Amino acid sequence: MLVPLSWLKEYIDFELSVDELVDQLNLSGTAVESVRFMGKGLDYVRIGQLLEVEPHPDADKLSVTKVDIGQAEPLQIVCGAKNIKPGDKVPVALVGATLPNGIEIKAAKLRGVTSRGMLCSQIELRLGTDAAGIYILPEDVEVGALFTEALGLDDVVVDLEITPNRPDCLAMIGVAREVRAITGNELRKPAVSVKEGTGKAEDAATIVIDDLELCPRYAARIIKGVKVGPSPAWMEQRLQKAGMRPINNIVDITNLVMLETGQPLHAFDLKTLKEGKIIVRRAKPGEKITTLDGVERELDRNMLVIADSDVPVALAGVMGGAETEVTDATVDILLESAYFEPDSIMRTARKMGLLSEASARFEKGVDPNGAVYAADRAAQLIAEYAGGEVLAGVIDVYPEKIEPRTLQLRTDRVNGILGTTLSLPEITDILEKLELKVSVIDGTDNMSVSVPTFRPDLEREIDLIEEVARIFGYNNIESTLPESSGKQGGLSHRQKTVESIKARLLASGLSEIITYSLIDPREVDKLQVPEGDPLRWFVKLMNPLSEELSVLRTTLLVNLLKVLKYNVNREQYDVQVFEVGHIFWHENGKEMPDEEAMLGIALTGAWQADEWHEKARNIDFFDLKGAVEAVLDEIGVTGWSLRQFAHPVLHPGKSAELLIGDEPIGYFGELHPDVLAAFDMPTAYVGELNMDKLIDNAIVSRELIEIPKHPAITLDIAVLVADTVAQEKLIELIEAEGKPLLEQAKLFDLYTGKGVPDGKKSMAYTMVFRASERTLTDEETLDARDRIIARLNKELGAEIRM
Amino acid sequence: MASKAELDNFYEQAKGAVESASDLRALDQVRVEFLGKKGQITSVLKTLGQLPADERKLVGQAANEVRRRLEGAISAKQTELSRADVEERLATEAVDITLPGRRTAHGSQHLISQVIKEITGIFIGLGYRVAEGPEVEIDYFNFKALNQPPDHPARSLQDTFYIKKESVHPADDDILLRTHTSPVQIRVMKEQEPPVYIIAPGKAFRRDVPDPSHLPMFHQVEGLAVDEGITFGDLKGTLEAFTKQMFGKKRKIRLRPHFFPFTEPSAEVDVSCAVCDGKGCRLCGSGWLEILGAGMVDPNVLMEVGYDPEKVSGFAFGMGVERIALLMHGVPDLRMFIENDMRFVKQF
Ligand SMILES: [Zn+2]
Repeated sequence: MLVPLSWLKEYIDFELSVDELVDQLNLSGTAVESVRFMGKGLDYVRIGQLLEVEPHPDADKLSVTKVDIGQAEPLQIVCGAKNIKPGDKVPVALVGATLPNGIEIKAAKLRGVTSRGMLCSQIELRLGTDAAGIYILPEDVEVGALFTEALGLDDVVVDLEITPNRPDCLAMIGVAREVRAITGNELRKPAVSVKEGTGKAEDAATIVIDDLELCPRYAARIIKGVKVGPSPAWMEQRLQKAGMRPINNIVDITNLVMLETGQPLHAFDLKTLKEGKIIVRRAKPGEKITTLDGVERELDRNMLVIADSDVPVALAGVMGGAETEVTDATVDILLESAYFEPDSIMRTARKMGLLSEASARFEKGVDPNGAVYAADRAAQLIAEYAGGEVLAGVIDVYPEKIEPRTLQLRTDRVNGILGTTLSLPEITDILEKLELKVSVIDGTDNMSVSVPTFRPDLEREIDLIEEVARIFGYNNIESTLPESSGKQGGLSHRQKTVESIKARLLASGLSEIITYSLIDPREVDKLQVPEGDPLRWFVKLMNPLSEELSVLRTTLLVNLLKVLKYNVNREQYDVQVFEVGHIFWHENGKEMPDEEAMLGIALTGAWQADEWHEKARNIDFFDLKGAVEAVLDEIGVTGWSLRQFAHPVLHPGKSAELLIGDEPIGYFGELHPDVLAAFDMPTAYVGELNMDKLIDNAIVSRELIEIPKHPAITLDIAVLVADTVAQEKLIELIEAEGKPLLEQAKLFDLYTGKGVPDGKKSMAYTMVFRASERTLTDEETLDARDRIIARLNKELGAEIRM
Repeated sequence: MASKAELDNFYEQAKGAVESASDLRALDQVRVEFLGKKGQITSVLKTLGQLPADERKLVGQAANEVRRRLEGAISAKQTELSRADVEERLATEAVDITLPGRRTAHGSQHLISQVIKEITGIFIGLGYRVAEGPEVEIDYFNFKALNQPPDHPARSLQDTFYIKKESVHPADDDILLRTHTSPVQIRVMKEQEPPVYIIAPGKAFRRDVPDPSHLPMFHQVEGLAVDEGITFGDLKGTLEAFTKQMFGKKRKIRLRPHFFPFTEPSAEVDVSCAVCDGKGCRLCGSGWLEILGAGMVDPNVLMEVGYDPEKVSGFAFGMGVERIALLMHGVPDLRMFIENDMRFVKQF
């Protein structure tokens, strides 16, 4: 809502500076989006009158003009526009001007003809969107005057963001009422007195409302014998400053009064209404109307129309029809001022894709009891500026008056919600400034508040409390903190576990990423996922922005790989990342999608680049496994195991499924070469684990394991075994046979090559033996070692190597 | 034959050898040569027996004196030489301290997670629990229970992502991607009686094409307090406590009345700009930066979850995490948060 302050000041005085006004409006709930100082950049623009317009001798498209700017000598100005003729008054930018669009005006020669200045279009002055030609000014402006003064442009226009609950503020008077609440100054609504003629309005037209639900009130004034023509300059300026295009005096007045009062008005050419009839009804199937914008529109039963005795002549509250529009030839006018049911207007406007100034107001709710005031105000202005006779009486069909609502308001409720100590008179004072009528309920601190019909948003006690709060000032309310014993802050076990997993991965060198929950289903094809696989149980969006973000992710892998790829494409080859996020799937027959938190890991490149002390090492399967082990270790998961994992995403020889007990938790491994090729990636290692299952198996608290008091004996062994023997087998046997003295056994060397026969590998273990209650002897330790060697030999054919 | 003169001569000779020893090994050789079991002083002492008794005593004393002095000289020389040895070792062991240190690989937490952690941490300190909920929601939790009217534009296909219904018996309610984390508030209130003090961080979705200032998925942190006697003043005090911890002690807040369907009275909350301290600059314009929306929980919402608005009241607030991260760290383009360029991620 554009509000020129010069206009606003017609209704209220205020001594606030522009900055202060903006602040006060903002802090009382009328948000100011921007402030425009209109005259900016127009200091060197004056009103000129064209004396001559001659063709340029050497250029077809140019004219040479002589312009009177109120000085002794007229200026010679070369111009390219075609819409000018001698006698026109136009804005002239003088030499030295810098226009709002940055153009500097200098004396120049155009194809040999001197030009001292520029004739301006609206767009060059940043006044409108009309770039078609020179801005032809109304005849009554004074030649030589400063353009800004002559057009009232030494003005400030504030752009207000009006929230949908405040239709009353889509009007100058409504905004002035807010200023009144802020300043306490008096509000001046224009007094209306219509000089009526002798003829009766009722005799000139009849109005019937067929659907009272959708149209509770329809009022009209009849004005006969008007002369349609341009509006006076002041009126055009006002409309332009408020963002509307002047059309003709009749339409301009309806717009002006709408901007003033908030009541949309529509003027019909009375003679085009068959039988002088207005019927407010629902459209009939198959009916059509050509609206003012020249578009033929098909109507349906849910749309309210204004019809004459025959056909629809307007889309009620949204847009008038072309057939009945006011033209230069119009003489008699029917001026509509109605109240339409908001939801119906909204639906029709949306369906038609027609959002007009009128529909914007009707769909939020105009004041049903303001219809006649607006009609009278407009009739008075029409009589004044377009001539004609206003017929006696208003035709006003309003069978069931909409009465002001009455609400109860309790003082202690106001203070209880706001945390204030406002007295009853203070509350009353605030409400009365907003034109609410307050009566105190005898013997109580409670009020009965009558809400005028221009405030449809005030429906409940809490709505009144909000009014009190915003006018009292949010920033005048004292700050406190809730004093409650009910506050027990903290994280749940689940949340703490997630945090510790993240912290461990960060400390292990992985960075956290966050990606869309939405993916492109085609990316899942790249993962070589077979048909019917759960990774294809997509949850699809009904209205995606694009195919790229059209289904919810069934796996974190797609986005992890895309992030690797994104970085590799930017020469970031060493990428180690994880993401904790949800995956989603639609199980057959279930309407509600399933949703589960997952941990995804992806590694590529090296942990660190070449260093002076150490060369870079490419990440392999065991780096990935180490990251998984770190997570399990961090949250104290025991009893986990791995097994071979066959999935087309992963390399069959370098992948594993993680189980805790018998339950699969997830998988990890090197990407299958086919997947790498599909993503055009170098090697990458990925894993995806079910977060909830991990958390279910996380330790809640750790109990101290006693620190040994007796010394340990450490022995190393190296054995040769067939290279098909899994390391795990060796460790299992060592641990089984070493019990109970063996505290720990660990692989510290793995070797194949020179000195080791083909098909064999050398595995070296360091073993720590300890007894908890005494000091071990060498004999028993060596004995245990020999038993281990014998067992390895017996079961795995291992030969001792050292 | 040993004589005093010979001993003096011996001492001078030995002392000269000690002085000229260039390292500890040479010095040890000198010691062995002059003082060792087979050394010269020993052979001098061995000849003592051949001297007359009175002379023997004298020469013996003198010889012991020479030995003592020589041992003293050797010891002094030893100290000197070993110091030199340490010095030399220190000199040869010196490293170039300007070489880069050895470091282990480190990961960085995503900036959005860091900001969420910081915000939730502050509210945990104020006595709030962290509540979470699903990203796929039904209309009831996302809109209806939050007092959002059926025709509200936020519900349109233009603004909200809806899920395609797949089953033969479609659910009554629309399924959608939550447009804010407020449904978590409804879920919590439906599950428990007041008092409720929760903070709900998470992802939210709106149907915006990604550009520097929009993302179809973003993060929100919302808070809710419902208890007996909660006031608008409590909301203000809570937000002040939060902004001072989050943005610095000197920051002030300003509340502007606004309209949200689920709160009343409602406010948009600005924090004073840290760059210009509220005076107005190129970053903030007016001196204030909008950071969150807030208000008193609408009685309709309380009734919807079965609370009695005459007995309890509450406040709620919500903020966009990306916006806060952007203000705090000068990120020019929201898409950087979702691209996960390692050069971005690793900076924070
Ligand atoms: Zn600033």
